Amino acid sequence: MLFPTATFAIFFMVVLALSWLLMPRGERWRPFMIVASFVFYAGWDWRFCFLLAFSIVWNQVFAIALHNRRDERTRKWLLAGALTGDLGLLAYFKYYDFFVTSTNNLFAFGGIDVPLEARSIILPVGISFFTFMGIAYVVDVYRLDFEPVGFGKFAAYLSFFPHLVAGPIVRPGELIPQFSSPRDPRYVDTSRAFFLIGTGLFMKVVVANFLAANIVDEVFGAPNQHSSLEVLVGVYAYGVQIYADFFGYTNMAIGIALLLGFTFPQNFDAPYSATSITDFWRRWHMTLSRWLRDYLYIPLGGNRGGKLFTYRNLMLTMLIGGLWHGAGWTFIAWGAIHGAALVAERWWRERPGFVERPWTRGRRAWHRFATFQVVCFAWVFFRSDSFADAWDLIVRMFTAWGEPSPLVTGGVLAAIAVGIGSQYLPRRFPLMIMARFSRLPVPAQAAVLSLALLVTHAMGPEGVAPFIYFQF
Amino acid sequence: MAEGGRRLHSAGSAIAVSLAGLLIALLLNAPGLHKSATIQPAGWKRDTALAVTGPLESVSGALLLDRPRRALKAVFGRSEDDQVDTAVVLAPEEPAIGAAPAPPPKRETVSPKHKLRLWIAGDSFVVVPGESLLRAAAENRAITSVGKIDGRIATGLERPDVFNWFTHVRDEVRSKKPGAVVLMFGGNDDHGFMTGLPEGTQIGSFGSPSWQAEYRRRVAGLMDTIARSGAFVVWIGLPISRDASQTQRYDTINAIVQQEAAKRPGHVAYLDTYFFFAGDDGGFSEYIADDTGKLVKMRADDGVHFERPAGDLIAEKVLEHLEKRYDLTSWRRSS
Repeated sequence: MLFPTATFAIFFMVVLALSWLLMPRGERWRPFMIVASFVFYAGWDWRFCFLLAFSIVWNQVFAIALHNRRDERTRKWLLAGALTGDLGLLAYFKYYDFFVTSTNNLFAFGGIDVPLEARSIILPVGISFFTFMGIAYVVDVYRLDFEPVGFGKFAAYLSFFPHLVAGPIVRPGELIPQFSSPRDPRYVDTSRAFFLIGTGLFMKVVVANFLAANIVDEVFGAPNQHSSLEVLVGVYAYGVQIYADFFGYTNMAIGIALLLGFTFPQNFDAPYSATSITDFWRRWHMTLSRWLRDYLYIPLGGNRGGKLFTYRNLMLTMLIGGLWHGAGWTFIAWGAIHGAALVAERWWRERPGFVERPWTRGRRAWHRFATFQVVCFAWVFFRSDSFADAWDLIVRMFTAWGEPSPLVTGGVLAAIAVGIGSQYLPRRFPLMIMARFSRLPVPAQAAVLSLALLVTHAMGPEGVAPFIYFQF
Repeated sequence: MAEGGRRLHSAGSAIAVSLAGLLIALLLNAPGLHKSATIQPAGWKRDTALAVTGPLESVSGALLLDRPRRALKAVFGRSEDDQVDTAVVLAPEEPAIGAAPAPPPKRETVSPKHKLRLWIAGDSFVVVPGESLLRAAAENRAITSVGKIDGRIATGLERPDVFNWFTHVRDEVRSKKPGAVVLMFGGNDDHGFMTGLPEGTQIGSFGSPSWQAEYRRRVAGLMDTIARSGAFVVWIGLPISRDASQTQRYDTINAIVQQEAAKRPGHVAYLDTYFFFAGDDGGFSEYIADDTGKLVKMRADDGVHFERPAGDLIAEKVLEHLEKRYDLTSWRRSS
């Protein structure tokens, strides 16, 4: 069930009304929300509901066991058991074929036949997200940062449909306490919710889909058929497409949760206005960044050792972050580029005699421009099917200047401008719109909402393309 | 009050605004929603959607609420988006190439001065092989693409209401004047529901004699429409799929296309892809070992579509077919 569909709209209207009706009685609300979330998940493939249910039971059993034990050695073993199960599931469904083909192809060089066969395993939607949330819960309980809650609350947390298939990756401490007390039906942040849903729909349905159909798919499909200008603009367009796609989805998820009375953390903060790669990762997919920091980078040792130790941890974190996005070497390369950039920036700042210069307008603009180029260069590997394809595209970017560029249209440039320009809007601008909307009477709010839906539906393509992050 | 001075509202208000907003939006977008309902796969969902959107469209029209959408569509040059076109426009029967086979044309020579104009079209299946073909064709200056790959998701020859390939192919062939057309259809045609039937015609379930007769008429008509324009058609057959029953249905479609292509030698070539993608046991395999023993992912995770190496393989075979009809390389020796 995709958010921008009539089926979801009907589903959500029923859930919204019943959720508020049952809200005062948590013991009724939780089973209702769990069932609703499983219905939502079954919209993709009902068989994977068993996988989600297993993940809930598995993590809850280990969390309770961890809570009940005081012996550190036993607790470590329990944590290892929980993580083995979580990561084992992820490894099987997401990485098994990648492991088999990589091993097979490595040994094939030496003429050795490996008796392992790829299994064509179907990737369950959202597995990377709910696995990470399950791990966060167990690790927080192990660290004594969080006490395990009842089965119903945990099941509601892990399966809660607004975040289920593509995040944001919400921490137990952020959401589970909200399940503990009924949300106050008198105070719902409706204007922010509708603003997020409206902008999310527009970014996904109009901007992302338009760029995909009008330049990105063409350029990445057959770069040698296109001019250097088309390839360059196509790469920038992909940068905007993936942002609009994922930002759009996240906005809708946060808005939908808000209407139900729940607050999710922010997932994007104008990432293409970042002045460095370090800054970029504070703004892009923020809930993944902090998950990687708290559950990977810090356990690896973080920056508590020497410089080289810190660089190693940064690289490892980004390589694994790349692999999390997809079972392929190009994703690892994407992570490696970001990791290398983070290491380089850290080295630069830590070198002897380094003094941070004050930001001037020109210096900030240059840093933003340079950061955007690095990010877009990394996107080339993220989007390409293979290194050969990425290389073809990069070569073409420099070797076909002056050729006709029919794909670089006003519409494409306008969509890119909207995608990037929206990140430079003053923060007061959306706040002002939301405040004005909130003061309108209900009929006027409904009219504005319907007009937004009219424009989005009329401008969007027929049908709804799947969200890019669903495949991760 | 929340950040920025915005007022918080009650849950009842949230439900009222959502419900009213959606209902008004339904009326404003009724023509588009009715079309979306119409082009859904046959079944109870489509019937229900039509039962809702049909009256909705009537009410919207009566209240002139469909006007803003039409105006917006007109502004973006997409006035025809909401129209449902089921007319199956085919080449007239006489003089049909299939009925009285025209002699195969002589092999033509192309060169960078007289390029072979290539057009690639079809359902979503054609996209990956099309991209591979364009990349391969870029290495030959005697071949030029007349436009981007016309691969349209969820379309086919069964449902002109979803996308009317018959009028589209006719118009594109007229305007683009391709010398060779690479087609791939049928991925979404393995169902019994067909629209655009001639008046009074009823067809049975998928694969029944009446279904096959109508599908054959459409395939043949499309081939003739292109062949009459002087273009050579390479029709890519459907591959083996993970779902064995779907593979059987694809076999039915492939048989029709293959037979019709055989009736038009020199004008239409059929490319059988079945064995390219069968595993050692003859069944579906997502990965195929290449000559060096390296496992290569040929098929997408959905068990139907192609990955890039599969596209490259098909492109290579398509070029072999084109080479039989056109001399694509002798210009290199003379230049």
